[in-house]
Amino acid sequence: MKRLSLVLALVLFGASFALAQKTVTGTVTDESGEALIGASILVKGTTSGTVTDLDGKYSLSVPEASSTLVFSYTGFNTQEVEVGAQTVIDLVMSEGVSLGEVVVTALGVEREEKALGYAVQQVKGDEVSRSGASNAVDGLVGKAAGIQVTRSSGSVGGGSRILIRGVTSMVGNNQPLIVIDGVRTNNETLLSQASTAGTAASNRLMDLNPEDIESINVLKGAAATALYGTSGSTGVILITTKKGAKQNRLDVNFTSSVGFDNITQMIDLQSEFAQGRPQDGFDYRGSETGESGSWGPRMSELEYATNRDHPNAPGASAFDAEGNYLYDKNGFLVPQGTGNGIPANIYNNVDPFFQTGMTFTNAISIAGGGETATFRLSASDLKATGVIPNEEYERKTVKLASSLSPIEGLTLSGSVNFTKSDYVRVQQGSNTSGLLLGMLRTPVSFDNTNGFSPEDAVDQVSAYQFPDFKQRNYRGGGGYDNPYWTVNNALGFEDVSRTFGNVKADYKFSDWAILGFNIGYDITTDIRKQEFEINSRTNAGGRVQHNEFNTQQYDSYFNLIGSGRLTDDIGLNYLVGANAFSFNNHHTQTRGDQLVFPGFLDLSNATAVSAFEDINRFRSLGFVGQVEVSYQSLLYLTLSARQDYDSRLGDPTDFKLENTGFFYPSASLAFVFSEMINSGGTGFSFGKLRLSYAQVGSPPPNAYSTSSVFVSPSIGDGWGDNIQFPIAGSTGFDQSALLGNPNLTPELSTTLEAGVDLRFLNGRLGLDVTYYRTETKDAILNASLPRSTGYANVWLNSGEMTSQGIEITLNATPIQTNAFSWNTQVNFTKSESIVNKLAPGIERLFLAGFNSAGTYLVEGNQYGAIFGGAYLREQAGTDTDQSLNIPGGQVVINDDPTSSEYGFQAVDPTQRSIGNPNPDFIIGWNNTFSYKRFTLNFLLDWREGGDLWNGTAWALSFFGRSQLTADTRQEAATPIAGVKSDGTPNDIAVTRGRNYWTSSVGGFGAVGEQFVQDGGWIRLREVGLSYSLPAKEWFKGGSIGVSGRNLWFQSDYDGIDPETSLTSTGNGQGFDYFNMPSTRSVIVKLSVNF
Amino acid sequence: MKVINKLILVFAISFAFVGCEDFVGGEINKDPNNPVSVPIIAQMPAIQVAVADVYGGAFSRFNCMLVQQVEGVARQWQSMNQYTGLTPNRFDAAWNNVYENILNELKIAQASARDQGYNHYLGVLEVMEAFTLMNATDVWDDMPYTDALNGAESINPTFDTQSTIYASITNLLDDAIKLFGGAAGGLVPGSEELFLAGDIDAWNRVAHALKARKAMKEDDYSLAMSEAMQAMTSAAGNLAYQYPDASAAGQWYRFNRDRTGDLEFHPTMRALMTDLKDNDRLAAFDQIFTTDHTYMTADFLQELITFREVQFIIAEADFRTAGGTQAGYDAYLAGIKASFDRIGLGQAEYDAYVAQPEIAPGVGNLTLDMILTQKYIAMFLQPEVYSDWRRTGIPALSPTNGTVIPVRWDYSSTEYLFNTNSPSEAEVSIYNDKVGWNR
Repeated sequence: MKRLSLVLALVLFGASFALAQKTVTGTVTDESGEALIGASILVKGTTSGTVTDLDGKYSLSVPEASSTLVFSYTGFNTQEVEVGAQTVIDLVMSEGVSLGEVVVTALGVEREEKALGYAVQQVKGDEVSRSGASNAVDGLVGKAAGIQVTRSSGSVGGGSRILIRGVTSMVGNNQPLIVIDGVRTNNETLLSQASTAGTAASNRLMDLNPEDIESINVLKGAAATALYGTSGSTGVILITTKKGAKQNRLDVNFTSSVGFDNITQMIDLQSEFAQGRPQDGFDYRGSETGESGSWGPRMSELEYATNRDHPNAPGASAFDAEGNYLYDKNGFLVPQGTGNGIPANIYNNVDPFFQTGMTFTNAISIAGGGETATFRLSASDLKATGVIPNEEYERKTVKLASSLSPIEGLTLSGSVNFTKSDYVRVQQGSNTSGLLLGMLRTPVSFDNTNGFSPEDAVDQVSAYQFPDFKQRNYRGGGGYDNPYWTVNNALGFEDVSRTFGNVKADYKFSDWAILGFNIGYDITTDIRKQEFEINSRTNAGGRVQHNEFNTQQYDSYFNLIGSGRLTDDIGLNYLVGANAFSFNNHHTQTRGDQLVFPGFLDLSNATAVSAFEDINRFRSLGFVGQVEVSYQSLLYLTLSARQDYDSRLGDPTDFKLENTGFFYPSASLAFVFSEMINSGGTGFSFGKLRLSYAQVGSPPPNAYSTSSVFVSPSIGDGWGDNIQFPIAGSTGFDQSALLGNPNLTPELSTTLEAGVDLRFLNGRLGLDVTYYRTETKDAILNASLPRSTGYANVWLNSGEMTSQGIEITLNATPIQTNAFSWNTQVNFTKSESIVNKLAPGIERLFLAGFNSAGTYLVEGNQYGAIFGGAYLREQAGTDTDQSLNIPGGQVVINDDPTSSEYGFQAVDPTQRSIGNPNPDFIIGWNNTFSYKRFTLNFLLDWREGGDLWNGTAWALSFFGRSQLTADTRQEAATPIAGVKSDGTPNDIAVTRGRNYWTSSVGGFGAVGEQFVQDGGWIRLREVGLSYSLPAKEWFKGGSIGVSGRNLWFQSDYDGIDPETSLTSTGNGQGFDYFNMPSTRSVIVKLSVNF
Repeated sequence: MKVINKLILVFAISFAFVGCEDFVGGEINKDPNNPVSVPIIAQMPAIQVAVADVYGGAFSRFNCMLVQQVEGVARQWQSMNQYTGLTPNRFDAAWNNVYENILNELKIAQASARDQGYNHYLGVLEVMEAFTLMNATDVWDDMPYTDALNGAESINPTFDTQSTIYASITNLLDDAIKLFGGAAGGLVPGSEELFLAGDIDAWNRVAHALKARKAMKEDDYSLAMSEAMQAMTSAAGNLAYQYPDASAAGQWYRFNRDRTGDLEFHPTMRALMTDLKDNDRLAAFDQIFTTDHTYMTADFLQELITFREVQFIIAEADFRTAGGTQAGYDAYLAGIKASFDRIGLGQAEYDAYVAQPEIAPGVGNLTLDMILTQKYIAMFLQPEVYSDWRRTGIPALSPTNGTVIPVRWDYSSTEYLFNTNSPSEAEVSIYNDKVGWNR
């Protein structure tokens, strides 16, 4: 109740601002008198405004007091008109390019776009909200050049990774800094289980209601982000949220949508061969044998039998007390003609399992403002069910933003955002409880539902469990969890409470001196519980694992800025400021194992309980200065410098402030050369050259890297789960395998950027091209050591990397008539980061993945190369082969007749770089067609190249479940392409059946090369049709629309949608191992304003 | 204006109050959850569990697969069973554990024990080092040792020959025996010493048992005999780690739980035991490898060196030096009996078994083949069986693939990659390059 009355009070408070208003009407036309449709009219300094209708007419209520209206229209000069006493304002707009556009740059400083010597790109909030994505990161796909977004999982509430200009840090964070209303905001992804297993994880920007976003500015290069120092070195996403407008009566917006999600595609599975393997006599082996593979007889050669005297009947333990076969209600399988004549069912355990996910979103906002104060209050509620039964995601947000100007020149403002996010997640990836792992391996002769419909099986315990609590699965209780068991008994729950916001004070002494103070806070509590019921295949004894993460960020800024003209020709802008930042993540885990009885997943039911605490903290201080000098409207020179102090460089045993400090400069130049050209009549309207140089220093990516510590070890060798201290009452400590280094210095990257911005036909056509090159030196990395040193890694300043790329943005309005317009934008991104050097004598560095295929930094290769086993080649490299790339020549065939792999490819003893997960280029093509009140938009997303290791296909080939294995096992024996050891062409004919796919060149073998596939795509990322509702009296208009996300894509990848990442949002990308399939969505949305 | 002045004041105070140095300095960058130093008693349990876990893990699985006690039948283990899958990366975990989790920890703990004069503690640590070094060099032959474990000071440790390492093992064991004979010197191993609860007499016997194990590989049977006579006199003196329960279960239990179906009991061993009518022990071993296996239990007793191994050493050494005396024959039977005891079989089962003349033919009729076959059975899952087979060729085994059973392990892939002083992959053959004592 208290909360409700608070809300009410705030609403009333806001309503009291609803001061005297009046309505201004008018018509907007071009110079020939044609009405301009869709011209935008804004009350200056506010977000309140409208657009002209089909007749060029508009009606807008404006505050009684002196206001200015800003009229803008693509290809026309923006004009400002004082309202004064007028109630009718008709305007004739003249064609021309608008040059006065103001953009928000680093530290919230507003600058004229033409003055910038570096690339920034703005995405409007409604472009994000109309995308239908509930995660603002997903809504950015294709909307700005230089951005790469990868959704990690099709699980509802799964996070996404975003990169600006590829990677810049070798082992540290590479995702951009997120700044909301001037302060840093947490976008971390916290994993509480192994990165290759566990559940999907969120990225915390998902806590932001997309309807609260006014605009997003993407600051790409080091010059653009220099004022943010270290944390801006990966690019900055500046989000400005919606605010109330001064002297505006109450605006109420209500948005409601419903979305429907379905899975996209699945790996090609065979449905021809039953469970079993070649053996004497009958090759079928039923569930009771524990057989893992589908190398049995053809399904068409099998039929059911129930007679236990049948020669192929399984043993007594496969029957219940009544003599019914436990694993199939139809009976056990026998050769055709020997049973009851009912042919074997071919069970589809995959597609019918998935359901239609539903997302319901409702959002309301109330905004207004008076003479001295404004407010905006918004709330939203999202409820989603996944395509996977029992997966859920719920998000509730409340945000209040307000400002007050008690005296002339002083503005106090602040915002409070509260978000509650809840998730129910299902296990995925590389673990025996992983949903797809068990599902896809299940032979077609076994029915995971036990005869129930898939919808019923979710709630039918007898589908997946026997009365004695043993699992009913295709390997007789061993192997992997039955998917229906997993979605009931291996669930993860996450409960995230978060509050973030800022308090800001600005005082304007004069244009020459504006003092600003901004403190931001961001506090997130993430409480998780992962359950594994007794008889889970991952934790047979049962497990409950609680994780609590508490992340606190405080960010404060103190800035003095000013601007003015020194002479008529020379202008000056300056900024001096200081910034203090503090980060603290407190993680505790309590785990209970070996539950006493099933059905009660609680720590009190565990017989072994262990716990740990992990605090990760750092602080930094920065001092910045920036000066911009302009000459006429022709030249703009900006110089900046920053001095940082960062606790992560401090040696706790011998702290010296100077060891934690580092300094770096930047300079940028904008040259508006069109000012020097008489472009009359040529169609050329604007031209600017940009040039910038910037350095940025970075501390170690992790806290505590300057010292070596003892840890409580986890003991094992990777085959079974490790065991953890304390063990039976004993604690234990072990020197960490990672050696600290008290002599670390900051890593330094230097970026050169050049660009050109050209506009033609009064801005109806625009082309922006940027090239950049970043050299990183002294990169801090956890260099690998040979283990004979006693350690695995040491922190060193030794890496070198070169990143370069091109970004092109093409904007055009090819058609603009009174009734119809077409706007199009193409964003092209190409970036490449080459690892030049790691550490002395070290050629590769592990990032993520598996033994058979992992992502590594490999000297001479692009960032994050997929590394693993390869076939032996004629020109077999040795370990002096520095590049570790696959050597030249044909594949060598094993021609040792005594070998069980006679005729198969031979294995290269050296693991090699077998794939590059980085795309060659990314193109986003955005189109908006407007016809009268209808708007149609679509976004094509083309990602060229970028390898993915298809671990799912790798594993399924071993089990004989993939269609590939059904095809190859039926082929006539032919020699595999390659040469024998004497160099002659291979003539050893083999059939690639079970012997092949279970050998060292098959699934689970030593070679990963054959399953590296092109993960590129072309996809219809967004398509939408909306109708704008006309305003009438108290109804201020709105829209109704339907949109689709990810409705179609084309890819050569043989698996699920290649937009996936097993290791979530971390640096090691390019893995698919039984990942959750992605979804396509259709969303119906209504938005109304009062 | 007043407001502004206040704001500036607040800001100035907040910065001055905190101060740059205090804000980013002090203990902010000190890890609050992990200490920079710990006492020996806190290291000891971690080292011992690591020793037991590596021995019962990678060493047991690979060695016992190569001698056909267990068979790789699925996933990665299928190609490893064919030897083709025994690529360097398969040995990474064992190599890493040996150096990083055992030898480096022992080095740190020994330095601390030596500094503080904890002589008995130092002896125990030295015995554990000798034990680990011998296991490692028996499969890897030449390895970094004298130049190893120096962290970033020596990032490319040179390789020592096996004979150098064997000499170091002798020194370590002799030094330990000497220390056990002297004053404890302050801190004595207590309940944190998980193998023998700090029983120094038992540790002394373990040191002799290890010297006996080593002498067998050096073909010095009289030394083996004399050391074996000073070793443990019953299974109570076995060097072993008792895993508590499923929350920290034995290696084989964890493997069978998490990698069900990858390894199973080997048909070779099944045939061998069936021929000997060794039905009771076979029933104990030859079960499907799941968590229900009655020998590979969660609370597994992971033995490192045992009374029964010592008895078979005595029997073999006696046979080789004296041609088979009563003492040797008694030791042979005591070894078999200890094996029955280990599985929980009673006197009746043992009596029935040794009633067979082909098992207990009487003094003078015993053969080397019988001794080593019984040792092979009695030491089911003990990594030392691989050394015995390489040493003696008993039992006779046929390769599962090709013409040769591997005679050593490959080095770890990370050593090949990161140590410029390591040989290259091409220079190491797991089929041809016998380890030093086996050449």
